Amino acid sequence: MSGPLGNSPRSREEGAAPPLLEVKHLSVSFFTDAGEVQAVRDVSFSLKAGEVLALVGESGCGKTALCRSIMRLLPRSGKIKGGSILAGGADIARCGERDMEKLRGRLFSMVFQDPMTALNPVMTVGEQIGEAVRVHRPRASRREVRARTAELMELAGIGRPWERMDLYPHSFSGGMRQRAVLAIALAGEPAILFADEPTTALDVTVQAQILDLFRDLQRRLGTAAVFVTHDLGVVARVADRVAVMYAGKIVETGTAEEIFYDPRHPYTWGLLRALPALSKGRDSLYAIPGMPPNLANPPKGDAFACRNEYALAIDYEEEPPMVQITDTHSAATWLLDPRAPKITPPLGGEARGG
Amino acid sequence: MAGEVLLDVRGLVHAFPLGRAGSVRALDGLSFQIERGEIYGLVGESGCGKSTAARCVMNLLRPQEGRVLFRGIDTCDPRAFRAGRRLLQRARQLIFQDSASSLDPRMRVWELIAEPLRIQRAAPPRGSFRAEAEFQMKYVGLDPGYLDKYPSELSGGQRQRVAIARALAAEPELLVADEPIAALDVSIQAQIVNLFKHLQAEHGFSFLFIAHDLAMVEFLCSRVGVMYRGRLVEEAPAGELFARPLHPYTRALVSAIPIPDPRRERARRPVEFRGGELPPGGVWTEASPRHFVLLEGREPL
Amino acid sequence: MSAGRRALWFGKKLPALLLSLFLLVTAVFYLSRLAPGDPLLSYYGERAERMTPEQRARAEERLGLNGPITAQYIRWWENALRGDFGISYQYKMDAAAVIADRAGNTLALGGTGFALIFTLAPLLGALCARREGGLLDRALCRLGTLASCVPEFWLSLAAVLVFSAGLGWLPSSGAYSVDGGGLGDRIAHLILPLGVIVASHLWYFAYMVRGRILEEVRADYVLLAKAKGLSGRRVLFRHCLRGALPSYLSLMAVSVPHILGGTYIVEAVFSYPGLGTLAYESARYQDYNLLMLLCVLSGGAVMLSGMAAQAIGQWLDPRVRAGEGPL
Repeated sequence: MSGPLGNSPRSREEGAAPPLLEVKHLSVSFFTDAGEVQAVRDVSFSLKAGEVLALVGESGCGKTALCRSIMRLLPRSGKIKGGSILAGGADIARCGERDMEKLRGRLFSMVFQDPMTALNPVMTVGEQIGEAVRVHRPRASRREVRARTAELMELAGIGRPWERMDLYPHSFSGGMRQRAVLAIALAGEPAILFADEPTTALDVTVQAQILDLFRDLQRRLGTAAVFVTHDLGVVARVADRVAVMYAGKIVETGTAEEIFYDPRHPYTWGLLRALPALSKGRDSLYAIPGMPPNLANPPKGDAFACRNEYALAIDYEEEPPMVQITDTHSAATWLLDPRAPKITPPLGGEARGG
Repeated sequence: MAGEVLLDVRGLVHAFPLGRAGSVRALDGLSFQIERGEIYGLVGESGCGKSTAARCVMNLLRPQEGRVLFRGIDTCDPRAFRAGRRLLQRARQLIFQDSASSLDPRMRVWELIAEPLRIQRAAPPRGSFRAEAEFQMKYVGLDPGYLDKYPSELSGGQRQRVAIARALAAEPELLVADEPIAALDVSIQAQIVNLFKHLQAEHGFSFLFIAHDLAMVEFLCSRVGVMYRGRLVEEAPAGELFARPLHPYTRALVSAIPIPDPRRERARRPVEFRGGELPPGGVWTEASPRHFVLLEGREPL
Repeated sequence: MSAGRRALWFGKKLPALLLSLFLLVTAVFYLSRLAPGDPLLSYYGERAERMTPEQRARAEERLGLNGPITAQYIRWWENALRGDFGISYQYKMDAAAVIADRAGNTLALGGTGFALIFTLAPLLGALCARREGGLLDRALCRLGTLASCVPEFWLSLAAVLVFSAGLGWLPSSGAYSVDGGGLGDRIAHLILPLGVIVASHLWYFAYMVRGRILEEVRADYVLLAKAKGLSGRRVLFRHCLRGALPSYLSLMAVSVPHILGGTYIVEAVFSYPGLGTLAYESARYQDYNLLMLLCVLSGGAVMLSGMAAQAIGQWLDPRVRAGEGPL
């Protein structure tokens, strides 16, 4: 990783500080009328202080469920079935609701996809930010809370905060609302920020501003972040490390460079090849054939096998193990097994446009 | 390649009342033309009037000023509309962003696809309505095994295909697609975009394609119009527009598209565009062949 | 909304309100007079039956019952606009005075009932919403549905049977004992009718609050509120209940006459001397003037509360209030 990016995970490893968040073999299921839906299946990853991890995948691959289970904000039907979530010296997977209330906002907080619905329409923006301030400073006076609210709004790039804090969300544009949500999320100076598709609902120009704000704040405040998105362009802009999820599992993880310039999992190839930028001048876009599997009844073996043009016989029988490629890069595919036949990957190797 | 003009939109103005606060001009003199067999992309930020334009083109909204000519018929003129009603209703079809809510959940797939034919009381060209539905499903790449399914039993991509098959059943000439892929997954988006491209290239359908995913627009569209505050600020063939944007707003827009390449993406500096009202009375100038831009009075190129 | 706009809003609503009141009065006037029965009976008692046609004509003239109905109708308006609503035939005094006499009793019953329902419904609704699907929620849902489905008169009779006739804890009828009695006595007389009113109405409102809160609970902003670190109870009261409040207050405003009117049946069963019994009697005994005044009052109450409900809905919800686009 190059210098200007700053938060190189490798350089932090020498400090041997324990990771901020360590998820081990986490499994989460939703119990619905249609049966048990295994949204997250045996996921392990870690997050170091100050780094941005992007979770990439299609809708329904479990990225949102993963974030919400770490914050313990799953709906009633969702249950953590196994595994552990180690953060702040405790296993969050076993924490009670009372303890979670103390952790939320401080250890981690959250930004959502749709800023239109994330704010309470009948409370002023200032009230909603102030509420978050008060959680962390219960003894603060009204004036102190308002001052801190203004400070947070300014931090999130909302100009003239003193005038705007008394407005209701409906008089804010989409980008402004997302800034307000960001201000709420930052009120408790959290160590980890979960951002679930925070720019998907925004226009490109606004998206660019919010992403830059996000990166700037994240670096200035040293906040670590888990950034959920399906947009690889967004990943390229913000992520230090990337975890690609498919059918409830992490299938490949590595630094942003490794994922973009040397992808190893066929699903990652598919995602990258489907980008219109790579099909310029061609008649058709590359499309991954078929559809993601139904997680109420996941197939035997590798869940991606039936969509994978490089699938081996064993893919239909046994799930591939996670194979370590470098210190930071690993992928779960039988193609990395020494016994696998050699294939020429459709992309990677050459540093595209580098 | 100046072909036959299929749709000619001239000086559309439409304002929505905003309670006591006056009104907001969603369209402010919008003009563009779509030639037969091309995919015309309309881009711009949310609230710029893209969807209002689509609704005016489909006669779902009546513009306060301006005209929409479809094959020479003035669709905003009630008399002309009545005279050409059959043609107009058949030849223009709309595809929505959210196919889940635009398909009646109590109808089976084949009934949904055949419905436009029934409404027009047209004799099914392939014998029965069911056979017609099956034909259209194959056309859009849907397995005929889904004929008797309900929309709730389909995935988002499949539902969007049903919506497209339904639009095609009427044998339209112009398909108006308002954000047809925004609600779909990346890999499914590619499938639907390929389908559009196939329909245009192989079967000569014309499209008005409204989207905010600029990379997809660049890939799919033949020509692209950039809307800002209810009017076009720039229009050019797709490749030309994205390679050589001229208007400051287009420049900002194009520079904001994220590049899926970490090194280039992080080196990228988006161009700022100071928003606000456009100065009135810009001049619509052809900067290079087929590349038009709205120039503010004095500003040189 | 500024005071000026508020006045303008009311100014726009007022003509419609007056028109509906006018139509109501007209309909009740004609319908009551078309109904069979002899109004003189309620004034003169049995004597009316023995009157000569001449005496009868004089009596009718004295009570303003002579001439064609339309003439009587016009006369009624003339007097009403001067504030004179005539006398009650049965009580032989000003109709307004009769009503003023009884209104206190009804307000004590209906007003207290309304206040209880008003405060208990959100608490009960919030409690059920918080434990959605739990044992308490399910038990309360069943019980409440049962209570609101059983007709009021049946519930009243059952209450009398159990608590008065059976257990003998509470008086079964009236507003106070014959020998007077103090405040305690009046309260004892209130408990049963009040209980019936609250029991039969409470669940309807509590269930509505529960439903609205559950709708709010599924909204994204509740997730954000939790992610901030707010406690579950705080989220419930500060966010969900607040979101449910505009529609709840609107509904409660519409329901003022509904709950007050609900006392009619209960008053009849418990022989409670309130407006309900009075209205019933006035219709039964052709006590026209009393009936008309009650009608104007209750009609006015219904319309005013409806208007208040609309106003509350508009002023409490900032989205409706502003009517302006985003920045």
